[in-house]
Parts: sequence; C-alpha cells; structure tokens
Amino acid sequence: MGKKLKQIAIYGKGGIGKSTTTSNLSAALSSLGYKVMQFGCDPKADSTNTLRGGSYIPTVLDTLREKGAVKARDVIYEGFNGICCVESGGPAPGVGCAGRGIITAVELFKQQKIFEELDLDCVIYDVLGDVVCGGFAMPIREGIAQHVFTVSSADFMSVYASNNLFKGIKKYSNSGGALLGGIVANSMNAGYSRDIVDDFAARTKTQIVQYVPRSITVTQCELKGKTVIEAAPDSEQARVYRELAECVAAHEESRTPAPLELRELQEWAAKWSDKLLELETGTVPGGQAAGI
Amino acid sequence: MTETPFHDKPRTSCALGGALAAISALPDVVPIIHAATGCGGNLMNSVAFGAGYLGSSYCSGASAPTSAVTETEIVFGGAERLREQIASTLKLIEGKLYLVATGCMTEMIGDDAGGAASEFAEAGEPVLAISTPSFKGDCYTGYEILLDGIFNRWLRKAGAADPRLINVFGVVPGYDPFFRGDLEEIERIGARLGLKVNTFFSPTQTFENITAAPEAALNVILSRTRCRGFAERFEEKHGVPWWATDLPVGPEATDAFIRELAAKLGIDGAERVVAAENEWYYRYFERTADSYADGELRFYSVTVTNSNYALPLNKYLYRELGWTPAEIFVTDRLEEARREDLLAGFAELPVKPRFVSGSQEIARSIDQGRPVYRGQRYFDALTPLYIVGSTLEKQMALRRGAKYLAVSFPAYDRAIVAGGYAGYRGGLRLYEDLIGSFMSAKG
Repeated sequence: MGKKLKQIAIYGKGGIGKSTTTSNLSAALSSLGYKVMQFGCDPKADSTNTLRGGSYIPTVLDTLREKGAVKARDVIYEGFNGICCVESGGPAPGVGCAGRGIITAVELFKQQKIFEELDLDCVIYDVLGDVVCGGFAMPIREGIAQHVFTVSSADFMSVYASNNLFKGIKKYSNSGGALLGGIVANSMNAGYSRDIVDDFAARTKTQIVQYVPRSITVTQCELKGKTVIEAAPDSEQARVYRELAECVAAHEESRTPAPLELRELQEWAAKWSDKLLELETGTVPGGQAAGI
Repeated sequence: MTETPFHDKPRTSCALGGALAAISALPDVVPIIHAATGCGGNLMNSVAFGAGYLGSSYCSGASAPTSAVTETEIVFGGAERLREQIASTLKLIEGKLYLVATGCMTEMIGDDAGGAASEFAEAGEPVLAISTPSFKGDCYTGYEILLDGIFNRWLRKAGAADPRLINVFGVVPGYDPFFRGDLEEIERIGARLGLKVNTFFSPTQTFENITAAPEAALNVILSRTRCRGFAERFEEKHGVPWWATDLPVGPEATDAFIRELAAKLGIDGAERVVAAENEWYYRYFERTADSYADGELRFYSVTVTNSNYALPLNKYLYRELGWTPAEIFVTDRLEEARREDLLAGFAELPVKPRFVSGSQEIARSIDQGRPVYRGQRYFDALTPLYIVGSTLEKQMALRRGAKYLAVSFPAYDRAIVAGGYAGYRGGLRLYEDLIGSFMSAKG
C-alpha cells in the first residue's frame, strides 16, 4: 500500500454486519502490518467496540458538545494492535440531525490533517445503513474516501440498500467523489445466495471482493468483545477476513456502478423468486446442491 | 436581445418573515424565534426599511427573543435551547401571548417546537408555537399560519355572538405597507355603520380585540387570494361565517363595500353612511377637477403590486381617475385556483393582470406585445406613463421618463406611517400622492 493514504467507506443495510466486517477488516489489515484508523460514522457509536474489548469510547460530537472544541488527537483511542479508533457519535435518537453530525465530525478531522500526522496507511469509515441524507454521503464526497465497499447479504432488502448506495455513488462520481470497489458478500451459507449476489454484482457492473460465510466463531468472539482476528486468529473465519484485507490492500481501481432502476430491481427480484421456487419444488434439478 | 446579467431584490420574504412582521403589529404578543442566528435580524430589516420605514415595536425587530441556534443545536437538536429561551423570555418580557415561530433549520432537523410550547402551555403559560419555515411558503403564507395559530388553535370558542362585531383579515402587515392606515379606515367606516371592528394589527387595537374575535358575527377577508383556508377553519371552530372581498379604495368601491357588508349583517344605515361619506369625499374631490382636467393629469398606468392591491388600485385608477391601464403585474406567488379568483375580479377592466415578479421581465413585458412604429401617423407611445409599483420600479420609471409612485413592498423611497389608501379618506390620499409625487418637482 506504500504511504499513500487509502480511505475506504463501508456501507450497507443496518444489521447486515457492517461493523463486524469493518472491525475484522481493520484488525486483519493491522495484522498485515498496515497502520489503520477505523472511523465509526453512526450515532450509535458502537463501530469500534470489538477492537476495544467491547468498550465504548467518548465520541467526537459528545466531546464537541461538552468542550466546545475538539482536538482530533483527544478523540482517537487505541484499539487492538494499535488501531486508531474514532466514533463520530451523534444526537440522541429522534432529535437533532445525525447527518450533520457526521459532516461536522469528518470535517473536523480533515481540517486538522490528523491522518497525515499519524502517518496512517488506511482510514476505514463505517457508515450507518442506507444513504438517508447528505450527511451520510459525506464520506463518499470529494476529498474523503476514494473507495466504497458495500456489505450485502442475498436478502432482497440488503440488495435494495446496496442499489440505493450505488445511486448515491453514481451521483457524486462526476464531482470527484468515491467510486465503488465492490461488494463484500456476507452471510454466504446457502448455495443459492452466492448466485444471487453474483448476479446482482454483474447487473450493476461491480465485483464481489469476498464471500464471508455466517459463522458461530464471529458470534463467540463478539460476545467476548473481540474481533475474530484477535480472539480466533487461526480460525477459518479469520482466514476469510485476512483474504478480504489482502484484497482491499491490493485494491487500486474503483468504478462507477450501474444501479438498477426500481422497476428493473423488482423484475430482477421476481426472476430470482421464480428460480428459487423452481429449485424448491424440483421443477429444475439442483435444489439440494443449492442448499434448498 | 442580449440578456444583461443582473441581480434582483426580493418583493417578499419567507413565512417566518411574514409571521414576525404580523406579530410585531399585535399588542402584547411577543415573538420567540426558533431559528438560526441571523434569521430574526435579517427579517426585521425586510419590513423595518422595506415597508416605508415601518421600523420595529415592543420586543420585535432587533429586540425579538430568539434561540439563535448554531451547529451544536443542529446536530443534537435545539428543543432544549428553545425551552431555555421560552423560560427566560417569560421571565424577562411582559406579554399576554408568546408565539414561538420556527425557521428552516430547526424545522429541517425536526425540532419539536410544538411540544416544547405545549409544556409551558400546560403549566398555564400563554405559549403557542407556529411552524413557519421558508419552504412552507412566503411572507403571505406566514401571515396565514400565524392567524391559524392564534385564532384557530389558541383561542377558545366563544359563548355568545355579538351581532355588531366583525373581524377583518387579509391585509398583511408590512408586506401590505399601508396596513395600519387601511385597517383604520375600515374600522372608521364600520363604526359609522354602528359596528365594532376587530382589525387586530393597527394601533387602535388592544389584546382584547384578539380574545373577542370568536364572538364576531362575520369575518371580512379583504383579499381575493389570501386566508381562504384560515376563514374556513375559523368558521368550523368558532361558527363565524366569512366574506371575501377586496380592500375598497375610493368612493365607488367603498359604497359597494358598505352596502354589501350591511346586507351580510342584516343591518340598516348603509345608505345614510354612503350619502354622508360621498358628500364629504366629493366636496374635496370636486375642487381638484379644474386642475385635473386642465392640467392633463391623465395617464397610462402600469401597476406592480401584490395580489391584494392589484384590483383595488386598478379599479381606482381606471374608474375614479379615468386612467388607461396598460399593464398590471401581480408579483406574489399564487396557486392556480387563487389566480383564477383574482382574474375573475378583473372582468370589468380592459387589461388582465400578468403574474410576474422579476424586475427585468416586468420591464421587458411593458414593451412586448405593444405596437411597433411602422411609420404610423398616430403612434401609441405609451405616454404619458405612470408606474405605480414598488421602489424596484423607480429606475425603470426614470429611464422611461414615466411618473412614478411606490405603493407596494418594498417601498423604501418614502415613509409610510398612518397613511392608507382604503375607503374615502384613502381615496383622496391616493390622489394626493399620485399627483403630488411629480408636482414636487415644480417650484
């Protein structure tokens, strides 16, 4: 990766495993020798928990609210293997503007040139759910992240959220915004789920950067407040995350995705629904092999 | 024609601006602005200077309490800051009603201003919140939102109706720059009919006029385009019927207004008032006849006003003074149905209004569609021309050598205090101002 700072934003539907993937990616990159910062962009402020033994850290915005001014250094906390952990934080649920909070926190870091000062190799932004407003698009706007990865399962709502993200990326792509690196396919256990995400990636002109199976190891490690890389470094799941880290480290060229229009997406989903039904009923052979 | 880049000054302000201008004219009503730093001051300047130097009043303008939210409140929510501001305002400033009016930013982030105001209201404090972000509409919309808040939400239903009491709405403080003089003339005329008139926004009024409003026998809406929804909701809540008409300017329109008002209320005395007022009016006006006729004081007229003033003004110019309307520009933003309502009023006039607000388009429109010189012996040169508009028309008038008077917002080349153009007295004043404006060059 050299010393050219690589900034990555990770998006995906809420609950799909973004923070798990991001933390394991950060931990794996760090274990490969890179100096990493993980920047949680979610008012819940729990992105970096598993990098710090399950503990919460004071957020940029809480500190800003209490002290009126924030030195970036004061809100960076050391996590597993020297990873710099930052949480933007945000307002209490139901009040204020979380989107503006993300902008405030990210701008504060950008202005203070802390990434250069810390001699980082990689900054990973873990961004809340869907791109609901301009604030959550902040990390993909000009001058912040260069690459976006989306975490998606084969569930339709997850694919739908990814497609929305692609629309956001496409919108900013003409004004120097981040481009799409690819999809981290998560919860890839059933055989057909690979086919679904592969097909979606092909339709939207992007790629799958890693297939991550659903694993009890992840659950066990998270209950201990740790990443798989830290708590089960020799597990199969850790190998999968290290492979993802190598892939991300080597990744250089992202592209503008080709998001589907709503009607196209619905037709695409209906086609897959029919196909799964045929596999289930045995109208076409191969259902068992596909995990149905 | 090559377009010359230029910038235009506004002829309106936002919903918060309309509400604040109106609150500033209500006795004992205190605004609490829940908006970003700057909104209150900037909107104060709009009418303090643009409405004939209206200035500010008790706890309005630059003295208006505001939550003045900044980035911290935007990110974390500003409701706490608002509660603090309401509490300190109640402590420091005397008032009978405190109106929280919101701006864009606090609305964008979804601050629950209504909830904060309700907490105080439940504790027995007269606090009410109205939602007035600019994306809801312009100053005219803000005026209606304010009326809805006070009259249709805050006021309780009245016990008994007073058959001799009427409410007057539709004249928008500040953005109808003559609102005080106009309302007072309507009040005077009503009094001659034996009526009590709640006009709310003129200095003759007190807070008790507001609380008495639900007892009225009729709501008179002096606007073809404003306050329909408000009047309907008022009727639904308080059972007061409404009548939408135009602000009467000059004797002919005011005679009709008096007769129709008396008929609506089922009261006698209209003819007696009409006769006495006409006697008075024409004893003045007849003496102008010599100078008017011999002094060649008839003009082509171009008017640039909001939808409230367009018809009353043009009827006066056309029917009372015998001028020739050339163009009528209506500058406020109107829904299609309201445009239709307004157009219906122009049936008797030879020219229909155009809905345009940009100064450049107005200037161009005056020439477009007119006959072009092709060697005709007699050529309609649109002279002598009189432009009755806002101060934004002044340069255009000077370029064309037209006579000019500012009567609509923004009017910042004249002072407007107690003057108005409504009724009989206003009709004479309008004559004085129209002719006086260019006679002042003599001597």
